[in-house]
Amino acid sequence: MNDFVSTYGFLFVSMILGAMLGLSLYLPLMAGQLSLASPGFYALGGYVAAILSTKVFQVKEPFPIALLLLEMLIAGIICGLLGVIVGVPALRLRGIYLAIATIAFVEILRVLALNLDVTGGAVGIFGIPQPFQSPIEYLWIVLPLLLISMAFVYRLEKIRVGRAFIAIREDELAADSMGINPTYYKALAFTLGAILAGVVGAISAHFLNTWNARQGTFDASIIYLTFVLIGGSRTFLGPVLGGMVFTALPEILRAIADTPGLPVWLAQFLRDGRLIIFGLLIVIGTRFFPQGLVTPQLLKRRSRSQANR
Amino acid sequence: MNLTVFLQNVLNGLSIGSIYAIFALGYTLVFSILGIINFAHGAVFTLGAYFTYMLMGNAFGFNGLLANLALPIRLPFVLALFFGSIAAGLVSVLIERLAFCPLRRKKADSLLTVVSSLGVAVVIVNLIQYLVGAEIYTFPPDTYGTLPPAINFGTEANPIPIRSVQVVIFVVSGVIVSLLTYLINATKYGKAMRAVAEDPTTASLLGIDPDRFIVLTFFVSGFLGGLAGTLVGSSVSIAGPYFGIGFGLKGLAVIVLGGLGSIPGAVVGGLTIGLVEAFVPGDYSAYKDAVAFGILFIMLLVRPQGLLGRSLVQKV
Amino acid sequence: MPQPQLADSISNLDRTPVLEARGLTRRFGGLIAVNNVSFSVNEGEIFGLIGPNGAGKTTLFNLVTGLIHPSNGQMLYQGDEISKLRPHQIAKKGIARTFQNIRLFADLSALENVMIAQHIHTKSGVFTGVLGLPPAPREEQKTRSRAFELLELVGLSDRADEKASNFPYGDQRRLEIARALALEPSVLLLDEPAAGMNPNEKQQLSDFIRQIRQQFNLTILLIEHHVPLVMGLCDRIAVLNFGQLIAIGNPADVKSDQAVIEAYLGTD
Ligand SMILES: Nc1ncnc2c1ncn2[C@@H]1O[C@H](COP(=O)(O)OP(=O)(O)OP(=O)(O)O)[C@@H](O)[C@H]1O
Ligand SMILES: [Mg+2]
Repeated sequence: MNDFVSTYGFLFVSMILGAMLGLSLYLPLMAGQLSLASPGFYALGGYVAAILSTKVFQVKEPFPIALLLLEMLIAGIICGLLGVIVGVPALRLRGIYLAIATIAFVEILRVLALNLDVTGGAVGIFGIPQPFQSPIEYLWIVLPLLLISMAFVYRLEKIRVGRAFIAIREDELAADSMGINPTYYKALAFTLGAILAGVVGAISAHFLNTWNARQGTFDASIIYLTFVLIGGSRTFLGPVLGGMVFTALPEILRAIADTPGLPVWLAQFLRDGRLIIFGLLIVIGTRFFPQGLVTPQLLKRRSRSQANR
Repeated sequence: MNLTVFLQNVLNGLSIGSIYAIFALGYTLVFSILGIINFAHGAVFTLGAYFTYMLMGNAFGFNGLLANLALPIRLPFVLALFFGSIAAGLVSVLIERLAFCPLRRKKADSLLTVVSSLGVAVVIVNLIQYLVGAEIYTFPPDTYGTLPPAINFGTEANPIPIRSVQVVIFVVSGVIVSLLTYLINATKYGKAMRAVAEDPTTASLLGIDPDRFIVLTFFVSGFLGGLAGTLVGSSVSIAGPYFGIGFGLKGLAVIVLGGLGSIPGAVVGGLTIGLVEAFVPGDYSAYKDAVAFGILFIMLLVRPQGLLGRSLVQKV
Repeated sequence: MPQPQLADSISNLDRTPVLEARGLTRRFGGLIAVNNVSFSVNEGEIFGLIGPNGAGKTTLFNLVTGLIHPSNGQMLYQGDEISKLRPHQIAKKGIARTFQNIRLFADLSALENVMIAQHIHTKSGVFTGVLGLPPAPREEQKTRSRAFELLELVGLSDRADEKASNFPYGDQRRLEIARALALEPSVLLLDEPAAGMNPNEKQQLSDFIRQIRQQFNLTILLIEHHVPLVMGLCDRIAVLNFGQLIAIGNPADVKSDQAVIEAYLGTD
């Protein structure tokens, strides 16, 4: 059991973090906005926590949970504010233009992080204090947070604000003509995503113990986007599942590679070529599962067949 | 800033700017006919550099499946550049067939195609890493033959030395831009390409097989991408499999600045960003990469159609 | 049955018109889609807009609802200029519309389509909504029951949960009207609501339009190609041709107008 926990504790927490990052991309997508800004806010949230805990609070380990929660709150607020500042002008752009603008935003933040003193430059920030003895204990924080975010998005889809998001996604002009202010709701969806990414970043900084400019890159944008698009972009369960599965994928492949009797070249490919497989899954997924793996129809069919039973 | 430094900056800027332009033209050609950004273009750029490196008979390093492998042929730089870029063009066509074409046939959402092209980029980058490792490859010093390291463009008393590499880049980009101008203005496909860039509905009216047309466009685009990759790779180094990704992002800045889908825009945008970067003061050179993205971000906000693009009105 | 008396009695009252176009012009590149058009619409009228394909009728609707902005001229609503407002601001003022090329939220249910359009009459935000704090639950309840009423009105309440794109064409047009009515507008713009309907359905629609005018105190602008329907239903009619207003008046006058006959009716 102990063995299992130490092997997989880190993975479980990572999977949950991945699920929440997927959700952070899903929120703007609910309003039809393809934003790749999440890694930027994630990185920023992480820096907020890393700087506060190593330079401001300076308490002995174990790092108090209350302070961790405070950092999450502060990270959320800062990312939310930046989300509004960036979102309001940027969300006048549509489709690919918005995606490019958010890529630029992530790159600008990355270059800043690489060069500022406060972020530790290229080396980043080390020795971020641990609130827990072992990685698995982070579940105390991330699991409730995931459940809260899922409940939040689930409810959101059923209320006035969520309906406004969805109306904009379906047809922005029609929504506008029905009295919905697209700029406001797009910026709101974008900001909610920014807040979630920032909060996740704050936890991750502690969880990973170190934080640097590699946390918020274009690669990360692609990976989170994959969570959502392959998981399914039409229901919040898609990104949650996508985030978990794709975060676990390297481990899964490694496990497969370890099965005895596999040809050596294949085992080696599964181990070292996992990102190739990742890329192939994206290409195949867009072709054969354009709506992602989890679709609203799938969920409906399931609930119906259960009701009939 | 004295005149020599100023001129050097200008020439540096134009030199890197012309590579940006060539690279961005590859993006633009595809965007202008399909309305899609091909994110795999940066990966094709990387591949071009590796292809040329290989065709010149250089050996790979110690990592990866192809460790220590070298081709039994040794082409001179110009030929290797040419065939390396052709190979990049063929890869680009392959990408079109495997990742773009099926989605187009299904009339899928263009964002899906974008994601698919991202997937291809991930595959290529990591395949390179799997095959030849992640190390930096430097072209041997005699790559350009017996050119001196620098050529003096001033007088003896007032030297304005320019690195020969930059001269090579100038010559190559000059040739390429002229060829492309010819291709676009004088051939049937070129005219179609321009017509489609101006108005996407006209393609079918010109009696051109759209499938062949698209394949050709991808070929030219890949050729330009691979060529740009070699020019950067041979003048600096091939900084590993990810080397084209950052460059690819900068290419986005170039085409947005010039105007998405605008062919002259790609050239103007490339030269502009090259020049602006060259004039970033040495103390702030670490922020150089942010400059292009800053320009990009601001451009999108004030004039999303770019310097030379058509305005974006949508039909209600 | 046309109601000229009502229209006359209203236009005789010296009141600000509900809608007024002053020299309204819209260019698209070299094309002048709407060319220096002036007219006014009175409260309670059913105002018809006819003209050949490409005459600029839809463009005029787009100008009224803020989807595009005029190159020249002004649009006034109850005396206030609205030509610079964005669509949602105009909707909030009380102008609602349907679209010629149906723009329902295709993937959503009929009920959701109508619920969405009650946006401006509700106000719960993210947190009250997600946590179910007042006024959200009551609002939600009201939104839902109101949406049902409107679906009932257009005869679609038995299929409230079906996806909008699954409805037959005519029903989609009715659903669009229900969605527009959910805004509780004072002016309703209908862009070819009878397109694709059979004669029987057209007659029903005509009656229905009259009924909702009465029931909701609406002023209605109607684009329609089917001349008998327009003539029978409208109090006044404006005729556009190549972006220009070539005639305006009651149906009988317009019908006998020489320019109209040449431009349009003659070819029908
Ligand atoms: N957004 C736009 N951009 C460019 N041209 C436009 C735009 N909207 C309309 N037009 C042009 O303006 C002219 C008038 O179009 P409009 O749709 O208003 O005509 P209409 O009277 O509604 O015709 P129909 O009876 O076919 O619906 C047409 O030539 C059309 O092509
Ligand atoms: Mg029309």
